Amino acid sequence: MTVEESDLVLVKRVQRGDKSAFDLLVRKYQHKVVKLVLRYVRNPAEAEDIAQEAFIKAYRALPQFRGDSAFYTWMYRIAINTAKNSLASRDRSPIAYDLDLTDPEESHSVQTKLQDPDTPEGMALTEEIRLIVNSAIEALPEELKTAIVLRELDGLSYEEIAAAMECPVGTVRSRIFRAREAIDKRLREVFEGGLGRTEEMV
Amino acid sequence: MNEERDSQLSAMFDGELPGGECELLARRLTRDEALRAQWSRYSMIGAALRAERGVALHDRVAWRVQSLVAQEATYGDGTMDSANATRTSSIVPASELRKASTARWMRIVRPVAFTSIAASVAALSIFWLRTQDDTHTLLALSPPAETIVLEPDTSAMVANNPAPAAEARVSSGEPDRYTTPAPNSTPGIVPSARLANYVVAHSEYSGPLSRRMALLGLVASDPSEVPATLDEETTQSAIRATARPDDEGAADAP
Repeated sequence: MTVEESDLVLVKRVQRGDKSAFDLLVRKYQHKVVKLVLRYVRNPAEAEDIAQEAFIKAYRALPQFRGDSAFYTWMYRIAINTAKNSLASRDRSPIAYDLDLTDPEESHSVQTKLQDPDTPEGMALTEEIRLIVNSAIEALPEELKTAIVLRELDGLSYEEIAAAMECPVGTVRSRIFRAREAIDKRLREVFEGGLGRTEEMV
Repeated sequence: MNEERDSQLSAMFDGELPGGECELLARRLTRDEALRAQWSRYSMIGAALRAERGVALHDRVAWRVQSLVAQEATYGDGTMDSANATRTSSIVPASELRKASTARWMRIVRPVAFTSIAASVAALSIFWLRTQDDTHTLLALSPPAETIVLEPDTSAMVANNPAPAAEARVSSGEPDRYTTPAPNSTPGIVPSARLANYVVAHSEYSGPLSRRMALLGLVASDPSEVPATLDEETTQSAIRATARPDDEGAADAP
C-alpha cells in the first residue's frame, strides 16, 4: 500500500460520514500545508489561517474527490489557490516589500508585519520540541537514524530504503517504528499531557 | 500487543500498511484518542526533523479545523461518525449541501418573517384603534350644540299683549328657536368645511349637476361632521345654490 492508498482509506471514511478520519488527514498534513503557504505569505499566523481555510475548503469539496490524484497533491493545490486568492484579495505581492525605513509610519508597519504573532509560550514550545527531536535523533543507533532520516527528509519508500540499506522491507518498517518510538518517548517524558491540543496556545 | 499496534500506526502514517490492516486501524483511530495523539506526534517529529522554519510544532490548525468541521454537514449516512450525531441520507453532493444550507436559512428566516407580519398587523391595529379613540375623544370633548329658545320680552308682555308678537313671528316663517353649532376645532373636519365653502364660492361657475353632486357627496361622506362644522349661513347658501329654480329639472334628472 502506498501513501496515496493509505490516505484514500481515510478519505473514503470521511465520505461515508467519519469526520474524525478527516481530522487524521489534517493532523498529518497541517505542518506541510503551513510550510507550503509560507512560501506565499510571510506571517506564520496568516499562513495558519490560510491553511485552516484550505482544509475547510477541502472538506467541503471532499464528496467530489474520486482519488484520481493523491490526497496531498489535491490538498496542496487547494492550499496554493487559497493562498493566491488571499493575496489577491489583499492586493499584496508575495515578493519582498519595497521598504522605506526612513518613513516612521512605514517603518512601524513593517515592524508589525515582521513580528511573530505566536505567543511566547507557543514559540518556546516549538523550539523545545525541535531540540528534543534533534537530540533524540543524535542519540539513536546509526541504523535507526539512517532509516528515519531517509524516510522523513528524503521521502523514500520502505522498499527504496530497504534497497539503500540492503535489508528486508520488514526490517526497515521496524527500524523506522523504533526510531519514532524513541523520539516519541522523549517527547512524552518532557511534555507529559502538555503536548498536543493545548487550547491556551490558541 | 501495543507495540504491534504502534508499529502498524507508524507504517500507516508512511502509507506502508497493507490495505486490510489499514482499514482496521483507521476504524480504531476514530475511537482511540491516545492513538490519534500519537499520530499527531509522528507528524510533529517529521516536521521537526525537516526543520520547517516558521511552522509551529503544535496542533493549532488541526484543532481549529476540527472545531469548524464539527459544524459542517456529515457526508454519507453518518453512521461512521462517532463524534457527531448529525445524520444525512447518503453521499451528499455540493448542490445538495447548498440546498441544505438554504433550508437551514429558511428555518431561521421563516419564523422571523411570520413574526414581522404579525407585528405589522398588530401595529396597524393599534394605530387604527388609537385613531378611532382620538376621534371619539375629540367628539366627546367638544361642547354640545346650544339651543336658544326665543322667549318673548317679559317687559313687552306686560306692556303689550304677547300673543300678537308670537303669532306675527310664526306667520312670517321665523322659527321660535334655533341651534348654534358647537365650536369645534377638530383638524380632520376642516377640509369638509373648506370644501363646502369652495363649492358655494364657485357655484355660479360650475354646472348644476356637478355642484349638487359635490355637495351631496360632502354631506353623505360623514354626516356627523357637517352639522358640527358648517356654519349655518354657509349651509343655507349652499342649499340655495343647489336648489335654484333653473336647476330643478337637471337635479331631478336620473
